[in-house]
Amino acid sequence: MSRPEARISRRTFLQGTTAAAALTIVPRSVLGGPGEAPPSETFAVGLIGCGGQGGEDIESYIKNAGGSYRLLAACDVDKGRLANAKKKFGEHVDLYPDFRRLIERQDIDIVSIATPPHWHALLCIAAAQAGKDILCEKPMTRFIAEGRAVVTTVKRYGRVFQIGTSGRFGAYKSTTGRTIHKIMRSGLLKHCPAVHIHKGGFPVKQYCGLVDPQPQAVPANLDWDMYCGPSPLRPFHPHRFGWSHRYYWDYEGGSLADFAQHYMDPLQWTYGKDDTSPVEIESCAAPAHPEACGVWAWAELKYADGFTVVLDGSEWGPRYQRKEAHQLALSDLDEDTRKKVEALPDPEPPRSFVEAVKTRKESAGHVEAAHRAVTIAHLANISIRVGRKIRYDPVKEEIIGDEAANRLVYQPMREPWHL
Amino acid sequence: MPATEELKAVVNQVPDPDKNGTYVNMDQEKIERIVKLVAEFLKGGRDTVLGLIDMLVEPGKGSDVKPHFALHLLAVHVTGLADDKARAAFALAVASQIGGDRPKGVQKYLIQELRLAGGKEVAETLGKALLDADLCDDAAQALAAIRDGAAEQLLAALPKVQGRNRLAVIKKLAVLRCQEAAEAFRQALGDADADIRIGGAWGIARIADASAADALLKVADAHQGWERFNENDACVALAEGLMAKGKKAEAVAIYAHLQKTRTGPTERHIREAAERALAAAK
Repeated sequence: MSRPEARISRRTFLQGTTAAAALTIVPRSVLGGPGEAPPSETFAVGLIGCGGQGGEDIESYIKNAGGSYRLLAACDVDKGRLANAKKKFGEHVDLYPDFRRLIERQDIDIVSIATPPHWHALLCIAAAQAGKDILCEKPMTRFIAEGRAVVTTVKRYGRVFQIGTSGRFGAYKSTTGRTIHKIMRSGLLKHCPAVHIHKGGFPVKQYCGLVDPQPQAVPANLDWDMYCGPSPLRPFHPHRFGWSHRYYWDYEGGSLADFAQHYMDPLQWTYGKDDTSPVEIESCAAPAHPEACGVWAWAELKYADGFTVVLDGSEWGPRYQRKEAHQLALSDLDEDTRKKVEALPDPEPPRSFVEAVKTRKESAGHVEAAHRAVTIAHLANISIRVGRKIRYDPVKEEIIGDEAANRLVYQPMREPWHL
Repeated sequence: MPATEELKAVVNQVPDPDKNGTYVNMDQEKIERIVKLVAEFLKGGRDTVLGLIDMLVEPGKGSDVKPHFALHLLAVHVTGLADDKARAAFALAVASQIGGDRPKGVQKYLIQELRLAGGKEVAETLGKALLDADLCDDAAQALAAIRDGAAEQLLAALPKVQGRNRLAVIKKLAVLRCQEAAEAFRQALGDADADIRIGGAWGIARIADASAADALLKVADAHQGWERFNENDACVALAEGLMAKGKKAEAVAIYAHLQKTRTGPTERHIREAAERALAAAK
């Protein structure tokens, strides 16, 4: 079935991000800027997922951060893509149709995960259990409980984790960003009056799934059962595979899931929310289909301290009009508090993945931060899917008083997979 | 119950997808129409639910896009009513169509909707579906999502299911942290199927069964590769669970074993995790 809208390109996305963000954020890695630490060793890398994003994170977070690497192995459920991996990365690369065999390789230090998101959590957990460090493409997960399971395992084994978005490097470079971060982390502000409205940058209409995809024969080169993995084994349709997997709840979660992690990562660092989540979530959207993602207008997410985040799709339905945007500033503080904040030292600069691996310290896009950032998208999507306001406990990581909504927080998996 | 002509006419008012097959074309008028339709479906009660189900078809055997969407809209609606009787009535009506002659693709969709809107009242129906090789995995997932009344059904099905379906039942008992499944988890450690052994190890960790610690360590010691990663992790998770339950001595014994035996360079992370835990336990 033809699609009227062109795919959003990385370049278009970056232009949209730059225009829309309150803080100017351009990932250093995408611009190919210098890294944080010179390499003293070559990392041995295995790649799982050889589609469009396959290999991008390795370049961005190792090579562009001053490290060096050698790709030893690649894995994909599509034999055609797998064969192309040799052409793309070199004849020396060993190919695996089953990720478990790649994970078992004892000579691999880092696993780069670039599959569709319904596999991300399981692959991160498997890599951590095997003692590998992890580069994980965004969005980190498909539902909230996956994120907590990844955090637990990564921390259990002291692994270094980096999510595939680096906006917080830009946020740190911004004087405004650092000032807000200092205010929030000072603990001196009891109520946060800030309202961050992120307008646009979500291809809402493009990211709608087919509501009646008629089954087609599975291509001979594709292991469809393995592709579906922990998600339901639906009849094959090409729209559920490749780029457009993003348009289905089974694999991702539409434009919100695909883009919010980019936008929320720097915001979360700036406003000191790397260890918590919103408590009240409302959305404006069309009634949600059980399998296909659909159109939405906006989602409003409030934190316990009053800080409000609005994701305004700006493509469909009414625009968000409840509140005016307000960026936190020193002028929001009384004089005494302002002086105390100004006297505080600047926060530590974010650490590159290369430096983090070498020093065994947390990278900038660390696992808890990544989990909390994608949770924002998941909460907005849950509100959209049940069509009502929800309340969330950011400590227990449960929806309060809404059993159906809470069942979207943790979704039991198809065998033989589990968190 | 066959859909009446009246119901078919109402269902036909569900908006058509656009020319590309998506609902990009939703607008305020269509949304208001859906809200009215859902109220009408709700008013129609059990007969309407059965009529909607009768309009569903096996994937690939025609289009059922409107009743498919309508049933889901109703499922979501009843979960937000704060009226558990209405939700249960809906769920029971859906459950009544599982286990009969309807195509398995349709029954899977019904189970999917029960996963969202079902409660204890449909556990028995899903328990019976565990014995259907085509529906077992879906039914087990739904029971694990519903939780209330699920363990009883899974335990009852366990001796009657084989292969991948046995795996589904064992693993969902693990999801539920079912203490009554402790013996089943221990037995699974000795299964010929590696996935079932991994499932048993996971179950032991999930229920923090101290009495199975030695058996679990023995199994993990004996394996390599993927299975060992999973069983090592189950050992560490078991120790964490025991520590959380105040069983420090049992947890320390597991950590000490891992520290002593995971000495190779590729298991350094296991050894270090054990060492950190032992240091914290002092």
